[in-house]
Amino acid sequence: MSENVFETILENRCSQPQQLIEVLQDVQETFGYISEEAMTAVSKELGVPVIEVYRVANYYKAFSLAPRGRHVITVCMGTACHVRGAPRMLDEVRGQLGIEPGQTTSDKMFTLERVNCLGACALGPVVVLDGKYYPGMTPNKLRKLVQSVRQAEKEVAADA
Amino acid sequence: MQEYVNITIDGAKISAIRGTSVLDTAMEYGICIPHLCHYPGLSDIGACRLCIVEHIVNGKAKVTASCTLNVAEGMVIRTDTDRIKRLRRNIAELLVAQAPNSRAIQDVAVRCGVKQVRYPFHNDNCVLCGRCVRVCAEMWQAKALGFVGRGKDRHVDFPFGRKPDFCKSCNTCIDICPMTITPCPGPMKTGEEYLCLACEGQLIMADSLPGACVWCDLGKGFQCARQVQAG
Amino acid sequence: MPKLKTLKDLTKFRESLAAQKEDVDCMVTISGGTCGNASGSLKVVEAMQSELASNGFAGRVHVRVTGCQGFCEQEPIVTIDPANIFYCRVSPDDVPEIVSETIRKNQVIERLLYTDPATGEKITKETDIPFYRAQDRVLLGLNRKIDPCNIEDYIAVGGYSALAKVLSGVTAEQVIQEIKSSGLRGRGGGGYPTGQKWQQCREAAGDEKYVICNADEGDPGAYMDRSVLEGNPHAILEGMLIGSYAVGANKGYIYVRNEYPLAVSNARKAIEQAKLFGFLGDDILGRHFFDIEIMRGAGAFVCGESTALMASLEGKVGEPRPKDVHTVQEGLWNKPTCLNNVETWANVPLIINKGAAWFASKGTKGSKGTKIFALTGRVKNTGLVEVAMGTSLRTIIHSIGGGPNDGVAIKAVQTGGPSGGCLPAEKFDLPVDFETLAEAGSMVGSGGMVVMDERTCMVDVAKYFIAFLQDESCGKCVPCRLGLGRMLEILTDITEGRGKPEQLDLLEDLGETMTHTCLCALGKTAANPVLSTLRYFRQEYESHIQDKYCSAGVCRELIQYSIDPNNCTGCGACLKACPNKAITGESEKPHRINQDLCSRCGICKDVCKFEAISIC
Repeated sequence: MSENVFETILENRCSQPQQLIEVLQDVQETFGYISEEAMTAVSKELGVPVIEVYRVANYYKAFSLAPRGRHVITVCMGTACHVRGAPRMLDEVRGQLGIEPGQTTSDKMFTLERVNCLGACALGPVVVLDGKYYPGMTPNKLRKLVQSVRQAEKEVAADA
Repeated sequence: MQEYVNITIDGAKISAIRGTSVLDTAMEYGICIPHLCHYPGLSDIGACRLCIVEHIVNGKAKVTASCTLNVAEGMVIRTDTDRIKRLRRNIAELLVAQAPNSRAIQDVAVRCGVKQVRYPFHNDNCVLCGRCVRVCAEMWQAKALGFVGRGKDRHVDFPFGRKPDFCKSCNTCIDICPMTITPCPGPMKTGEEYLCLACEGQLIMADSLPGACVWCDLGKGFQCARQVQAG
Repeated sequence: MPKLKTLKDLTKFRESLAAQKEDVDCMVTISGGTCGNASGSLKVVEAMQSELASNGFAGRVHVRVTGCQGFCEQEPIVTIDPANIFYCRVSPDDVPEIVSETIRKNQVIERLLYTDPATGEKITKETDIPFYRAQDRVLLGLNRKIDPCNIEDYIAVGGYSALAKVLSGVTAEQVIQEIKSSGLRGRGGGGYPTGQKWQQCREAAGDEKYVICNADEGDPGAYMDRSVLEGNPHAILEGMLIGSYAVGANKGYIYVRNEYPLAVSNARKAIEQAKLFGFLGDDILGRHFFDIEIMRGAGAFVCGESTALMASLEGKVGEPRPKDVHTVQEGLWNKPTCLNNVETWANVPLIINKGAAWFASKGTKGSKGTKIFALTGRVKNTGLVEVAMGTSLRTIIHSIGGGPNDGVAIKAVQTGGPSGGCLPAEKFDLPVDFETLAEAGSMVGSGGMVVMDERTCMVDVAKYFIAFLQDESCGKCVPCRLGLGRMLEILTDITEGRGKPEQLDLLEDLGETMTHTCLCALGKTAANPVLSTLRYFRQEYESHIQDKYCSAGVCRELIQYSIDPNNCTGCGACLKACPNKAITGESEKPHRINQDLCSRCGICKDVCKFEAISIC
């Protein structure tokens, strides 16, 4: 199944080294991370030395070389958010989840990321959870948000 | 068929081969410009910034790396202004504070006039000069090594962190690395690093003939292009 | 929809759109850019559409969803025309009333009107909003009239007429001369004269050339480009079309940072529609062929630097290269490339349509035209502000921005992002102009303007920017990689109480070295936040070093939080909120902070309703 998906990503991109970043972005979006197998296959198909694929995958923040949690929390640390207390959001969620930015909780529920500006500066501090933007966050609201995700997962597990 | 262009370095009129860098031309003519990441035969990346010079354009002096600056007709270059010396010294100071455990780095520091190190010493074993990466890619066409990671996480690594089977263990990367030669008095333990000024005598000789290459012992330490080319 | 093949076709089509508009009784405009969506505008749109349909208004009342309009804190904004009634902070629950009162009966709903914080007055009409009135919204104002997913809106406001004008008999040299005369300078931060860049690219040897739009807006605190690209993508397409004709390029790229998914998707839709209408592809209005591709960034601030951006377009790591040979000569794939910023491209159609003299009539001698600024931070009205160059900082921050928030005095403004600097309040009479701000130790940059008040520690701000730059540096060159590392080491020492007086001179020496010797503009400007704060706020550095005192109460190692037992009611809110479990206490008895566990994050002080927690 995943092989077919992979072939779709590489379709029409054979021997086109300049497509490397776009291909890796598609791999990241589809699989949630970029595995060694993926990198090796991409290297072959696009005609890019494997060290170059590895370099690109390591260089850009959008790429994750390890599987991510089911829910990704991104805290914006841009200047406007910083001046409005973004470090406290990070403190709060660090305390809640017990992980540092870039890490995933051991139960694979959450991955914490920090981003250097989402461009929604007037609404800072901003936190993104699973692609949805939450403006004007406070540590209190963030704590409740994390709790609501945990609650929802519990309910899903109970139903199953 | 080589084309020549006329340039001026430190007041000296020089006939330079079109397509060569200011650094190569200067070294060819015996004008000393300290450098580290430059290695004869390999491409230049302008990473260490030690080879900076002043490029005078329309009366304004622009500081730029001479290894990535190609000669052009009428170019005017100064390699030894007070500003350049001060900037070079500061860069060498950063290098020796970061990786003092190498004769090459210590020699570069002395050559660039570092007399004190104003930062706490670290003890890194790589200065990211990229010689190993370039020799593997350009001389052996193997591409078994590369710069992985960004910024302070930048480091030299194999793909996936494992030596690939297409690495032939030629060891050229090790031979060419400036970190492999320990300082003359011996390797420095973490916490016991210092600026070794033992070869300062060499600098006096270099200072008395500013800009001229005097085949100093310091050059042997940091594998100066002239020393390497001479064999 | 058959392609528009000539200027006449375009004019006729525009006239037909104008005629269609007459049939519409009422236009409801709802702002729906990223900020709007984050504030819930999509739900307002849904509610509006369903309410209008169920009341039989569909057809006579149009709903237009636009991009960002710049008055971000008031989102979601609903404007009703032709009466021009302006409602802000609208929620889906307000929609039925809007339909029944305002749309049906033309009655104004007081509680949804904007209140002018200066006078307390309620303002009904959008055109009377002081925030807008004080600006010169020649570019940003267009967002109001355009649904970015509908090319017809752009055509209706005159879109693509500049392109048609250029392609019907104007030579490339004439176009370049017009851009030169306008005085347009790069809006991405470099401020390089655009006409000159186009000329150099045109004259560069080679028959394969490229134009690029740099939409990698990475300066934290800046989002002007996002708003223009999201809200008016065709303006950029038209600008690039005109530019490509002028320099002789047939392929263009828009490089958008991947943190802007809505901008990416709106730009893609715009390209599809432009193709359908014949504005892209082969045979554009009979005279030109040009294609544009969108490429996404992958999370690297340094890819906003032109050579790093081009490396990224080539599928490589985004590392800058030395610029002794400029990219107009050897750029993408080593071919002549003209790279300009989003706002620069968007200004081109305006200049072609209204003339270089019109553009040059605004601004100062060296800095012409208008500029969009992202005014954020500790100021009342945060949002996007478009003013003529030469407007003073004071006007922007106090008159348009409304001055201090929460009554705390404004101390400084940070302009130009991480490459810029901090200017103190005493300098607020300076006009915003490329040369003036650079002389003062900052820069116009891409347009980010973060206002800081007495609660901001300037040493912490410097540390913040250096940490940011260290995170984003490519790491290739020594003075940037090691220089930033050492600067951060020193600033951390100072903010944690280990600073020494000689470290200030060292910071300046190191900063000067980085400015002259780094390989690219990221490194060359990296020292600015430190150098400018040392220049204007040296006493803050000194008090951190000598007295181990942070006047803003920000530097965690230098402050302590304590609970006043006289005010503490024992409600336990702080105990629950503390992420480090550093607070203990019984219910209804004064609580205590364990200083060993306390990380000085300040969350407890925020939640305390009895003002029992203070910094000492």
